[in-house]
Amino acid sequence: MKKTILAIALTIGTFSYTHAQEEIHLKGKQLFGDLTARHIGPALMSGRINDLENHPTNDRIIYAGTAGGGVWKSNDGGATFNSIFDDYAQSIGAVELDPNDPDKTIYVGTGETWTRNSVSVGDGLYKSNDGGANWKKIGFENSERIANVIVNPKNSKEIYVAVLGALWGDSEERGVYKSNDGGATWNRLLYVNQKTGCADLAMDPNDPNILYASMWEFRRTGWSFESGGENSALYKSTDAGKTWNKIHNGFPSGKLGRLAIAVAPSDSNILYTVIEAEKDERKGLYRSDDAGKNWKQLNNDFGITVRPFYFSRITIDPKNPDVVIKAGLFGSISRDGGKTFKGMGQMHSDIHDIIFDINDSDRIYCGTDGGVYRSWNGGTTMEIVENLPLSQFYHISVDDAEPYNIYGGLQDNGSWYGPSSSPGGINGRDWNSVGYGDGFRVLKHPTKNIIYSEMQGAANVWRFDVDQNRDKTIQPLPQKGQPKLRFNWNAPMAVSVHQPDRFYMGSQFVHRSEDMGDTWKIISPDLTTNDKSKQNQEDSGGLSKDNSGAENHTTIFTIAESTLDENVIWVGTDDGNVQVTQDAGKTWTNTSMNIPNLPAAIWCYHIEASVFNKGTAYAVFDGHTMNNKNPYAYKTTDFGKTWKSIISDDVKGFVRNIQEDYVNPDLLFLGTEFGLYITIDGGKHWNKFTNNMPAAAVHFIDLQKRTNDLVMGTHGRGAIIIDDISPLREINQELLHKKVHFFTSKPTVINEESNFSGSFGGETQFVGQNPSKSVQIKYYLKKRHTFGKMTMEIQDMKGNTIKEISPGKSKGINIVRWNYRIKQPKVAKGKTFSFGGFTTPKVTAGTYKAVLKKGKDTFEQEFEVIYDPKSKLSAKDRELQHTTTMKMYAMTEELAYMVYELDAILEKTQKKKTKQKLTALKESLVITTGDNYVGSAEPQLREKMADLFSKIAGSYDKPSATELEALEIITERFNKAKVDFAKIKKKVKFLKELKLKTFDEFVK
Amino acid sequence: MKKITLLLLAVFASFTMNAQTVDGILATYFENIGGLENLKKVEGIKMTASVNQGMEIPLEIVQMKSGKQYVKVSIQGKELMQGVFDGETLWSTNFQTMKAEKSDAEATANMKLEANDFPDSFIDYKAKGYTVEYLGKETIDGTETFKIKLTKEPVTVDGKKEDDVSFYFFDTENYVPIVTQKEIKSGQAKGQTSESKLSDYQEVDGIYFPFSMTQGMKGQPGQAIKITKIELNPTVDDSVFAYPEDTATEDKK
Repeated sequence: MKKTILAIALTIGTFSYTHAQEEIHLKGKQLFGDLTARHIGPALMSGRINDLENHPTNDRIIYAGTAGGGVWKSNDGGATFNSIFDDYAQSIGAVELDPNDPDKTIYVGTGETWTRNSVSVGDGLYKSNDGGANWKKIGFENSERIANVIVNPKNSKEIYVAVLGALWGDSEERGVYKSNDGGATWNRLLYVNQKTGCADLAMDPNDPNILYASMWEFRRTGWSFESGGENSALYKSTDAGKTWNKIHNGFPSGKLGRLAIAVAPSDSNILYTVIEAEKDERKGLYRSDDAGKNWKQLNNDFGITVRPFYFSRITIDPKNPDVVIKAGLFGSISRDGGKTFKGMGQMHSDIHDIIFDINDSDRIYCGTDGGVYRSWNGGTTMEIVENLPLSQFYHISVDDAEPYNIYGGLQDNGSWYGPSSSPGGINGRDWNSVGYGDGFRVLKHPTKNIIYSEMQGAANVWRFDVDQNRDKTIQPLPQKGQPKLRFNWNAPMAVSVHQPDRFYMGSQFVHRSEDMGDTWKIISPDLTTNDKSKQNQEDSGGLSKDNSGAENHTTIFTIAESTLDENVIWVGTDDGNVQVTQDAGKTWTNTSMNIPNLPAAIWCYHIEASVFNKGTAYAVFDGHTMNNKNPYAYKTTDFGKTWKSIISDDVKGFVRNIQEDYVNPDLLFLGTEFGLYITIDGGKHWNKFTNNMPAAAVHFIDLQKRTNDLVMGTHGRGAIIIDDISPLREINQELLHKKVHFFTSKPTVINEESNFSGSFGGETQFVGQNPSKSVQIKYYLKKRHTFGKMTMEIQDMKGNTIKEISPGKSKGINIVRWNYRIKQPKVAKGKTFSFGGFTTPKVTAGTYKAVLKKGKDTFEQEFEVIYDPKSKLSAKDRELQHTTTMKMYAMTEELAYMVYELDAILEKTQKKKTKQKLTALKESLVITTGDNYVGSAEPQLREKMADLFSKIAGSYDKPSATELEALEIITERFNKAKVDFAKIKKKVKFLKELKLKTFDEFVK
Repeated sequence: MKKITLLLLAVFASFTMNAQTVDGILATYFENIGGLENLKKVEGIKMTASVNQGMEIPLEIVQMKSGKQYVKVSIQGKELMQGVFDGETLWSTNFQTMKAEKSDAEATANMKLEANDFPDSFIDYKAKGYTVEYLGKETIDGTETFKIKLTKEPVTVDGKKEDDVSFYFFDTENYVPIVTQKEIKSGQAKGQTSESKLSDYQEVDGIYFPFSMTQGMKGQPGQAIKITKIELNPTVDDSVFAYPEDTATEDKK
């Protein structure tokens, strides 16, 4: 009975509670407010480009559709680019401008078409009617990859779309589609089967009814790739796509693979195709001079036939049908109609697309695995575009240096580390290379200045001694009696917080070294399914063998040693196993069968061992290589005996990574293919984070413990950081109901570091943003402040105003910055500026408060400002510096007032003698001639005083003897001037009539 | 009963939301800030303001119905005129020589186009040949807004005509713009988007003006302009707008 009453009471209790206060669930931008991501690149190696597009009439405008970094537009012939597609899928297949309205109407087909193993996915066709400011999705939700979009140059309503379609499974959304109504409705014109998509589409420039379409039969799995089959073919339509016929006269017999098609803009009878065929000698470039009736093979050099799935584009000089460029490992150019080729100029390897300038064919743009290159001399020498931060991280980690460094490996661009902050911004030159090939995991030794890095398939694992500048390779080698080791393309590594020299690697086994990789021991059985049917990588590729190692499967993909107990190690495999040991590897338990609603053999992409409880871990799974793009994330609290899904409907896109907060176990960060999600309630609700955060694939997340910075490795937009996520830890229902809530913050260090860095090269180079070094006052507003006054000022603890600052008004989290400086002094008026007088002195260390006034309400928050603990100054030195600075501040203002009085008297007085005396005095006080540059006059008292003030106020050090002596000279001179002025003033009879401001009024 | 009322309310709310037209939003906006007729009567505005760029800089901003305008910047007691337009010539004081210099011909021509934007571009936008378009709702500054696109006369940029487009985000509660965005047309940042956040709307002689503006790049912390005073229909001597010709006087020999 008692129990029942209690139950009822409880029910009523919660009932009345929910009535009294409805739960607040803020979505994305409503919550995150000023919490903003910053991008640090790097851009010096840039990233993969899928498609380049010219403007048909304006040669300044170039578009780049990228593999994982969205769409970028240049307004200056490629000198600089701006991102215009941040909010949508960042993997781009095709960019097309409506030739009838090229300034406004843009189509973007998402989903990269160069189908390597690490390729991302698209989610449809987008259209902008305003030059890229706003976008709307207009269909093809399940297309995954769009190869071309072509608008009829005579009729903007007619649009053709080539859908390559799904890479990892069957799909009916493939082939050639057409709209007759500007994209409102679509008809499928050409379809073959669920495995065959349209890889290339071209229109006759003279007759929009004539179309050429190459259909490609292709398929990937997690462990294989197959290009080619009976259904690959080249088709032609002469009736705007109603009927299609194969045009294979002169083609090789047997199965075909990927085919490219190009029509010469200057002679539409001339066509080129490049053919992937069964026999090597029949592969290569073919040409037709009769619009496809007959074909003739011209060339099958390596540069023409290499990796057709990756390189298939043919570009023809718009003015000369015999100048033709074929994409490839290095890119090949022919000037004899395709008979012979030479290599393009030196640039990053893997050229995917080429365009000629519309007016000058000597100007050529190439899209590569390492960004956009531009040539001014027909492709002989190439220059890289330096501001495309498209780097594709597979992994990211941070150290605990100050500022901390970021480590990670990039697709086709090696391994790197660079600082999270650097004088003048984070430049390309701040990044250091620490590995060749494709780069993946890069880890800092926990205590020594040593970095581990690797290349694909752990073919090399480097141990780099940074101080000695020496590297050695330390990958595990096959041991006696052990089978062949299977390493993933992106092989896992881990270090230990318990044993700094410990280093883990994963093949099908867990390898452990206690001496930084010199000696290896296998501490597990084969933890994978060891499914032999997934181990035939030698046969991979289809018509063109492609055994790069990228398809290695049934491997370990993630290893996590618990930070709470070194005997607890979690392992996830690419074929669905989640294994755990509690005895440092003696026994292992496969827990994957305990995970509810999880597809079998799905790729375990990451396991995060909790820092709160050694039995707690998070596991995320990526099914996209099984044609399953659903999100999967789970949590266990009992070593994997039971798992619970922590995904909500809010999450779109498959999951690659999860990061647990170090303080609040309910605060989690989820890296998905379409961006970052954050939960503040343990996964019940997820919020997409979009503040300067593109919808890029987040492959890995790390949280820097000291700064609380969330560091993301994106696969296409480089490293992206959200500085100090600590406010999110405090958010709960009680807080969300408050009108205003100040978040607690750590003391701010007064920055005294020098910064000599100029902005050399910054005009055209990408420069990553630095974190703010100011005091950051952070608060939550329940509602945006729009009407009425809202102010903020900094006060000392006695309530004196130190500085007025402008508060943020956004709903959600606001961040207001104060550079711990007071106002500049009021400076005497002269002919020119006194540059020293622009100095704003820093406050002393101590406790201050931010006072926020909103309507009738006042809110206060105390915060602390401290000196750099590394500083060598004593308290006495600090005292001397501050008092001297403020003495000179006061002196500067006193002089300002004196000149103000003097000017007023000078204007009014009629006496010639007084005038003369005042003028002479003034000329010794301030500059009265010249300009602010090289026409400047000799400095006078004002300038000397202000410059010394600036010198002392700006120094990290206490005032030197020389400075104090200089101050004495200035003080004497000022005192004399004061005496002189007092003498003159005494004789002035109209002083009262002038109604001068008091000193306090004047300096206000 | 309560439930039914609630339901009706919901239906009504969604009905009014669906019925949202750009002219409806603008009409409510004008009504809420003091009435279209009152706005049209304004002949000029003088704002006393300050910006904080490491150091605090006082500003005086004047805009007249005739299109004349200036920004007066005070530094160490010196007054420097910036962005001064007399209807024909656009000029500013050079910070090195402290002398007036004319802006380039394109900037001046583009400035002329803005003469009819006082006090608000949306007033009689059709008669001005502008187009406006309601693009739907968007959350910005944590707040639900109506996004409206305004297209004005094309401007000339480096010899080429380009559309002059800006986006206004009207708070769905008060129907006043809280954010505006515009593509930067010239200079190093060409192609990027600038953003202004508006708040602290307060009444001046029956009309509401934002007394706080934060300007910067879209999605980045901006620079706040704090307005301390707004005066309507100020008396401004026409001569301050005129370009001070720097004529050399020949030395007498």
